[in-house]
Amino acid sequence: MWLSILLLSLLAGQACAETVVKIGYLAGLTGDLAAYGQAEVNGAKLAVEEINAKGLIPGVKVELVPYDFRSKPEDAVIAVRKMIEQDKVVAIVGANVSAANIATAPLVNKAGVIQIGTATTNPLVTVDEKGQTRPYSFRMAFIDPYQGKVIAHYLFKKLGVKRAAVLYDVASDYSQGLRQFFTEEFKKLGGEVVADLGFRGGVDVDFRAQLTEIAKANPQAVMLPNIGKDLALAVKQARELGMKDTIFMGGDGYGEFMWEIAGPALEGTYWVTHVAFDDPEIQPLFARYREVFKDEPKEYGNIVLAYDAVMLLAQAMKEAGSTEPAKIKEAMEKGTFKLLHATIKFDEQHNPKDKDAVIILCKDGAGRFHERFRPVD
Amino acid sequence: MSSLLQQLLNGLSLGSAYALIAVGYSLVYSILLFSNFAHGGFLVIGGYICYYSLTKMGLGLLPAALLSLAGAGMSAVLTERIAYRPIRRRGALTLYLLIASMGMSIVIENFWVIAVGGRFRAIPPVIPTSPISVFGTTVSSFDLIVLAVALSLLLGLELFLRRTRWGLAIRASSYDVRTAALMGVDTDRLVAIVFFVAGALASVSGIFLAVRYTLYPQLGFITIKAFVAAVVGGLGSLPGAVLGSYLLGVLEMLVAGFISSQVRDIVVFLLLVVTLLVRPQGLLGRRLEEKV
Repeated sequence: MWLSILLLSLLAGQACAETVVKIGYLAGLTGDLAAYGQAEVNGAKLAVEEINAKGLIPGVKVELVPYDFRSKPEDAVIAVRKMIEQDKVVAIVGANVSAANIATAPLVNKAGVIQIGTATTNPLVTVDEKGQTRPYSFRMAFIDPYQGKVIAHYLFKKLGVKRAAVLYDVASDYSQGLRQFFTEEFKKLGGEVVADLGFRGGVDVDFRAQLTEIAKANPQAVMLPNIGKDLALAVKQARELGMKDTIFMGGDGYGEFMWEIAGPALEGTYWVTHVAFDDPEIQPLFARYREVFKDEPKEYGNIVLAYDAVMLLAQAMKEAGSTEPAKIKEAMEKGTFKLLHATIKFDEQHNPKDKDAVIILCKDGAGRFHERFRPVD
Repeated sequence: MSSLLQQLLNGLSLGSAYALIAVGYSLVYSILLFSNFAHGGFLVIGGYICYYSLTKMGLGLLPAALLSLAGAGMSAVLTERIAYRPIRRRGALTLYLLIASMGMSIVIENFWVIAVGGRFRAIPPVIPTSPISVFGTTVSSFDLIVLAVALSLLLGLELFLRRTRWGLAIRASSYDVRTAALMGVDTDRLVAIVFFVAGALASVSGIFLAVRYTLYPQLGFITIKAFVAAVVGGLGSLPGAVLGSYLLGVLEMLVAGFISSQVRDIVVFLLLVVTLLVRPQGLLGRRLEEKV
């Protein structure tokens, strides 16, 4: 008799149970990427909350499993391994730096677990060295060949810059790639790269030696294919060395927290980014962010990309009618996903097709939306 | 030509930051004959105290700085009391002190990671950084201030060592601690004073570095360069530490500017290796048998 009661309660329990599917989040919560990483995890949390509250995936509840890879690719591999083997995630969102995703790509593709990079822009994230698309690697952002072209065209055509210098990070896939694509395109347009100097990101904090040499070459603009803190320190030190009228332009490594470090030195600098802060579609998300986290959504690009990446996975799971990575992947390759900041359709290299670049101009203490830009040949 | 002058000035500014660290380091070495790897921790503590004094307590720069010096000095004394004194008491090998210092450096760094998070913080711009024209090149007023403060503090230290009784005791102990103890020097007190001074000096450097490069728990890593500077100048010799620091600062800037930034670290550590092979006592140091 007790056995039948036990059996009945078990069966009853099963009938009410929903599948819990785990999505891992690879974020740099400490180290140089901390500002972006924390913003992304928060954005993802908002998405997961909404998915579960509104039951966006029938019969499925999502659980977010965030891991800190300490802004180092080696630790990203360790974190991803844990996510796959211990937590048994079906998909991983993040990271926001190409080096981490390039390092983890062999792992996720071998295990058949989806990984969507947020702001990872280096081509090798979704395509290997032989040119083959990695089956389980995707990304939310445009790629660096495109971004390098955007910067080159903007500087040359819009701002009339014929002589540019580059200060890049030798230890970063992203920085090296962006520098290469920018330089190729800039030279093609007829521009001249008058100085090209490197530093070791994560280690070097003083760029005065390099900036002194750059100033000597007298460029009209300095292109900075770097991330966050390095950008802020470089611009600050350059202004201190007297480079008042030089134009500084960089890619999507810009973050609002840079103002804390560089202050008024940032005025008049240009940056490329993925999301327009003034986009009316995104405002409800920001309002929710302020409410839940009692903080301003400063790294708004990362927040939106993270949120949209998780939502994309949810939509794909719903369309596939399954929580198996292989089926989700197929749905991702075929589908069109209407998200907050854009509608995404992946091409054969698992990159989003036809995304606009957003140009930010730093003015009056913040990065302001300046315009959308698409390079025309 | 002006870029050479610029790099030299950059190097002197960097060297000043190193000098403040290297001197404290060398001071501890001269008495206890071990390299205190936790020295970087005092730097970070000074930086954080300054940050919180400026932001949360709304103090001015001078009171915040004095608080940092006192705080870092006290934490240095505390570190010595907790980690090193028990080992010294037992008369164990200086190697054990070194290992204990490595442990303390990890403890201090991670204390800050857990307490305040790994995110870096920007110290409010209380030290002016506006460019000034000097001999035809531009230098940041910050660099001049660092140079001035560092030189005055080093001068102060020199006066302390030459003109005061405790300074005499320290100099005596740097020759032989045991004999100095036999002469009536209270060794424990002496060590506490030395650590306090070392911690305070490191914290000044910490404040400058934090203002310039942002504040984060791993800021102490720069002590490795100061360590190289101290060895090159002569471990145990204070003028040596200062000389080594400025030499290193200038060398780094020249190499990074005229050759490349990647080669810079190679050159720095090559200098260390060459020094240890060719002239292990450094430029101004004395020959000692055991170097830990």
